[in-house]
Amino acid sequence: MRLPMLMLLAIAAGVAQPALADDLDALMLADTAPEIVKTSRDWQGYMEAAFGESVARADGVATANQRLSFDLQLDKSLAPGWRAVLADRWDVTWPAQGSEASGINTLKEAYLSWQVQDERLLDLGRINARYGVATGYNPTDFLRTGALRSLVSVDPGSLKKNRMGSVMLRGQTLWSGGSLTALYSPKLEDQPNTAAFSADLGATNNQSRWLLAASQQWTDKLSPQWLLFGEAGQSAQLGFNLTTLAGEAGVAFLEWSGGPSRSLWSQAMNTAEGEAFHNRLATGLSYTTANKLTLTLEVDYNGAALDDAAWTALAHGPALAYRQYRNWAQYAQDMPAQQATFVYAAWQDALVNHLDLNAMLRVNRADQSRLTWLEARYHFSRSDLALQWQVNSGSPGSEYGTDPQQRAWQAVLRCYF
Amino acid sequence: MRRLILQTLLLCATLCAGVSHAAPSAQEILAASDAVRNPDFSFGLTNTLIEYRNGKQTDTSTLAIYSKADPNSSQFRSLVRFVAPARDANKLMLYSGKDLWFYDPANKASIRLSPQQRLLGQASNGDVVTVNLAKDYQATQAGEEDMQDGERQLRHCYKLTLAALTPDVNYHHIEMWIDTSNKHPIKARFFSESGKLLKTAYFRHYQKQLGAERPTETVIIDGLDPNWVTVMRFSDWAKREVPDAWLQRDYLPRFKPE
Repeated sequence: MRLPMLMLLAIAAGVAQPALADDLDALMLADTAPEIVKTSRDWQGYMEAAFGESVARADGVATANQRLSFDLQLDKSLAPGWRAVLADRWDVTWPAQGSEASGINTLKEAYLSWQVQDERLLDLGRINARYGVATGYNPTDFLRTGALRSLVSVDPGSLKKNRMGSVMLRGQTLWSGGSLTALYSPKLEDQPNTAAFSADLGATNNQSRWLLAASQQWTDKLSPQWLLFGEAGQSAQLGFNLTTLAGEAGVAFLEWSGGPSRSLWSQAMNTAEGEAFHNRLATGLSYTTANKLTLTLEVDYNGAALDDAAWTALAHGPALAYRQYRNWAQYAQDMPAQQATFVYAAWQDALVNHLDLNAMLRVNRADQSRLTWLEARYHFSRSDLALQWQVNSGSPGSEYGTDPQQRAWQAVLRCYF
Repeated sequence: MRRLILQTLLLCATLCAGVSHAAPSAQEILAASDAVRNPDFSFGLTNTLIEYRNGKQTDTSTLAIYSKADPNSSQFRSLVRFVAPARDANKLMLYSGKDLWFYDPANKASIRLSPQQRLLGQASNGDVVTVNLAKDYQATQAGEEDMQDGERQLRHCYKLTLAALTPDVNYHHIEMWIDTSNKHPIKARFFSESGKLLKTAYFRHYQKQLGAERPTETVIIDGLDPNWVTVMRFSDWAKREVPDAWLQRDYLPRFKPE
């Protein structure tokens, strides 16, 4: 009787699946995992120190530069349904940026938010209301004009982070799969203010503007957004954003805006030209490989900019008109020529763990000038170390060939508080 | 004669009992193990990920997650807020099947991600939030066997083979071991379409949470490099009201877990 029982036990032991040796090692390692208790904080911030060198196009002379930046964000619940948001940045550069003071404070956001109900919200204050699904050029980012106060990098991510919102009253209502947002941003001042600690309301609120944004999910893969934007002195503009998955690794995106408006030239030179219908478009594809490399290819079109012939003519025309047009396009964060190509590559954990390699190429297709930017960024536990390199190349008068800085590099250390 | 009648009655009773307690189907076993991992109401928890490479701790992340089952698909949709590390704090993610959005409060950008894009090291975006496997996979039973669990105890398990019902899921097929006595998921092996082992997961440290014994830790071992190990630890379980209107891209900037 005992023998069959022993045989059964032996068979059972044979059937039993012990964990594999590798699995056992992993489980023993997991046993040693420390208790980590992290609670969410209302604030976050970092300090960034940078030094580098830029080479002037005119004489090839290299100039050293340094920068110190402090960035703070606060998102505090004041009472059930009430939140206060503050985002501020202070940059000190040596030598100073252009004609600006060496220290520039950027009040990015400061607003109160009230969640009236689960699905209804009201916000009041300076808000960075940003729209658009493209990476290099955002035709539906209607409130971008005048928002840049301190330029620390040409990386599109940096341009979007380090900018000022507009003072506005904003309301949002949500339902299952959809949302409607309405905002009104009044005129508060006439002119931008370059004083170091100015809130610079004249840069973001120098005319009355309003915007409606509606989105509705059609399917799991399609969630379009429509926008309607108006500002004093210009007809309403329509906007449209759409993204969809392209297989397991791709995302296709399309961003369009259009409406009757004055041309960029007319706005820059303040001519009495009438309105005509202009389209702006950014469309492309992002693809991620299995080893965490994401490539984005985007084609951009600005129908309000000078066409190829006019752009080429301007490059060889009066310097004052050229400078005025370029300054306006930069202020409006718009493309000075009609067509551009944008390529961005982001490789996460490239070659070694915690090392990110990023690369960007912007090509003006009218004059073939280009901006090339490369970055290697290593993440430590509470800090980042980055090395950035930038080249502006092109013929005289071209978009990037005119930049006074021919090439530059900078090393950046960012420490998180 | 009376003995024969009694034996016949006992046999009938046994057969009837067998009929009324038929062995559960593989799909029912899988659904029962889903119910062990996931409450049948909307809930929130904290997921702390600790990542090791070659025995050394290399990364930690803490996420606050709210999850709610979609009334149509019964699949979970989740809002995720990064708590740590500092460089990622307050970034947000919406996970709703294939609809995957990432929001960075610094640049106010809602970026659509493809399923292949990963925000964390080894764990895929789908690994960090909960899923009902029975909704996405067809289970077949491949026998019963004893299996060592995450605490190196032998457990008698159903062995199930799960085949993806749609190509829209993270893994082509899965092998899964589920305790026969209480339907606790014990271990799973995840495979690509080519049959390559992508990762192994152990569900362990069962504790009573939200009314049931649930695994509070998942150990993930990379299929190619067994020295790449991620510990996912679940804490702060709480029942949470999550309105359907919150589970969309346009609510992401507003989401702030309690």
